[in-house]
Amino acid sequence: MPEKKNDLSQKNQWEHSVAETLKRFPEREETFTTSSDIEVKRLYESENYPDDVSYPGQYPYTRGIQPTMYRSRFWTMRQYAGFGSAKETNKRFRYLLNQGQTGLSVAFDLPTQIGYDSDDSMSEGEVGKVGVAIDTLTDMETLLDQIPLDKVSTSMTINAPASVLLCMYIAVGEKQGVPLEELTGTIQNDILKEYIARGTYIFPPKPSMRLITNIFEFCQENVPKFNTISISGYHIREAGANAVQEAAFTIANGMAYVDAAIEAGLKVDSFAPRLAFFFNAHNNFFEEIAKFRAARRIWAKIMKEHYHATDPKSWKLRFHTQTGGSTLTAQQPDNNIVRVTLQALAAVMGGTQSLHTNSRDEALSLPTEDSARIALRTQQIIAHESGVADTIDPLGGSYYVEALTDEMEQKIKEYLDHIKDIGGAVQAVEEGYMQREIHQNAYEIQKRIEKEEEIIVGLNKFQLNEEVNPDLLKVDEKLEKSQVECLQDIRDFRDQDVVDKILAELKENAKDSEINLIPTILNAVKAYASVGEICNVLREEFGEYTGI
Amino acid sequence: MKKIRVLVAKPGLDGHDRGALVIAQALRDHGMEVIYTGLRQSPAQIAQAAVQEDVDVIGLSSLSGAHRTLFPKVLQELDDRNASDIPVIGGGVIPSEDIPYLLDKGIKKIFTSGSSTELLATYIMEMIDPKTSSKKPPKQISHIGIAVENIDAALSFYTDSLGLELEAVEKIESEGVKVAFIKIGESRLELLEPLNEKSAIRKFLDKKGEGIHHIALEVGDIRTRLQQLKQQGIPLINEEAKTGARNSQIAFIHPKTANGVLYELCQHEGSDD
Repeated sequence: MPEKKNDLSQKNQWEHSVAETLKRFPEREETFTTSSDIEVKRLYESENYPDDVSYPGQYPYTRGIQPTMYRSRFWTMRQYAGFGSAKETNKRFRYLLNQGQTGLSVAFDLPTQIGYDSDDSMSEGEVGKVGVAIDTLTDMETLLDQIPLDKVSTSMTINAPASVLLCMYIAVGEKQGVPLEELTGTIQNDILKEYIARGTYIFPPKPSMRLITNIFEFCQENVPKFNTISISGYHIREAGANAVQEAAFTIANGMAYVDAAIEAGLKVDSFAPRLAFFFNAHNNFFEEIAKFRAARRIWAKIMKEHYHATDPKSWKLRFHTQTGGSTLTAQQPDNNIVRVTLQALAAVMGGTQSLHTNSRDEALSLPTEDSARIALRTQQIIAHESGVADTIDPLGGSYYVEALTDEMEQKIKEYLDHIKDIGGAVQAVEEGYMQREIHQNAYEIQKRIEKEEEIIVGLNKFQLNEEVNPDLLKVDEKLEKSQVECLQDIRDFRDQDVVDKILAELKENAKDSEINLIPTILNAVKAYASVGEICNVLREEFGEYTGI
Repeated sequence: MKKIRVLVAKPGLDGHDRGALVIAQALRDHGMEVIYTGLRQSPAQIAQAAVQEDVDVIGLSSLSGAHRTLFPKVLQELDDRNASDIPVIGGGVIPSEDIPYLLDKGIKKIFTSGSSTELLATYIMEMIDPKTSSKKPPKQISHIGIAVENIDAALSFYTDSLGLELEAVEKIESEGVKVAFIKIGESRLELLEPLNEKSAIRKFLDKKGEGIHHIALEVGDIRTRLQQLKQQGIPLINEEAKTGARNSQIAFIHPKTANGVLYELCQHEGSDD
């Protein structure tokens, strides 16, 4: 670890930025104290500060991206939710907001995520199952009913048809009278990890990358506060990657998006500040914390040194975290509350900007309202009771955490170099390189668990003779039918000529890769064209990805 | 012997294929030939692939909640192709309350979250070739059951005097007993204390006093083994396996064929031959 004397100018810069930040976001308390009345300082630091650790809110952001971190504001508590119909999900959203949740996160059902309408034969059995079914703008209006889009930020887990759902969100905003420039939220819009790990792709990589850069460009001009992508390691980890692979593949994907946007003629500082990340918080507590810190540092260096971004906002890796779904066990499900607590704590110690905590019953089904509430309460207890948010980066300077951060940075870089040798992330995905690495690791984990070399409490040790039959959330089987009927009603009442005309225009525009497709998609959405109809037009032009 | 051919399939739109891929690899490591369909297969495509590839068994994986619709559809499509003889098993995120429905529709078995790949491989081998398990003897003495009046009073001899480790104590209300497992090497001593007057252990104690009650043998697929014993004319106290301690499936063999010794067959979850 290269060490040097505390850099006074760095410290001065930090102190200056703290003063600036406090004007906008005053700290939660005038003074923070422990239970024994010991004052808790804003930051604890050492005389011998390595350059790489620096100060919070200062390049390369090892200690966090904001000068005061959670002393001013807690992370956003953002629980991913959605099931059944738009009406049911709207009810759950309003419940969560009433319970003190501070942001929304929409889960869509698989047909929506893969661009099929609820009445498509491919959708059979899947409508409303893993998320809410959205066919047309009508569903989106219901979903967001009585939710003030100028106050609540919304994250949407949508990738291949991200442009369509973003346009629906914009259209609802307009109807609520919220100016576009005030809409805040995030679309996942990360297609590369869909090919690698998550599976909800539609089109081949090239036109998919075009849609993504179209969104970057459109939002930069029209919806400047919206995060245009959430580059996701979460699903890569869920598919079986380890912590280093998760961070490395995510950053490699991030670089591929930056490359694509630059190639499309965008200036790096025009879109990079709106890039967001999404990581997993897994079981190994300190490794996870080190992962977040290392990822932040590497991204900052890449943006500054490799892409020559000059706006500090472009250097900052902002991220959402979700606790690890695959770490939950169906056996003794209440144990999952404890797992989630530890994982959430790691995310907070790692400096996350927002957090989703999983519910105890998610190895069995979607969470019930009770389980979802406990998951939210877990975050609230960490925030309000534990005191871990009262000083910035409390683990900074820990011999272990700093050494682990350095070592992870090194290992992540080795992967990045290898992916660069392959020809970049898009090439590596097309060759199946990342998929193989992840699968190999997943298989090794399974073998270790079966040999009891890795202990999962309640699964391969400390088992109980139990009846696993908690109350589970059931999606009404009749929903599919009523959703289909609703869609047919909309097809009957809308002006079909207008829809046909816009869809024809979309088809024409899709042929010319120079044209930004978002304005046409927005028009189509406003005319009540459905997700499936819009995606089918694009399927005809772009073709479909069929895996490797 | 001809290799067992398995089709691992992902019906519907679900993209979670970690489990399917891990299982495919594990079955290959068990010497089977595995064909993986890839994502987003319709029931018709799956049935078609199964017929074309002439597989011995189909494994379906779903984590999206669509299993109630899609698994039976696969069976229907197989039937339409006169291929309903191909057994279909399933796995994924499947609530236990849905399992009877799926079995009733004709799915042979559901392996839920936490099942071991070893168990799955053994299950498939025994299903395709039922003689597999009979060739293998029980692998070890799982435990020796000792009837006692009072576990708390009896324990000190085992834990303090002998220095053995008490592993677990649990009540099995259905059997009217409280049991304590004491670990010794890979086996256990199982102390049995009656919880009520109707308990079989109460009757044993009244008749014979404290002492060895039964010897339990660890086996693989207990159901197949019970059928085989029955076919061989061995009198069984339980013809069907029932749930015993530590999440095991158990059944007793009548002592009259076994020199007066009461034998229990027991299969623990995750155990195989």
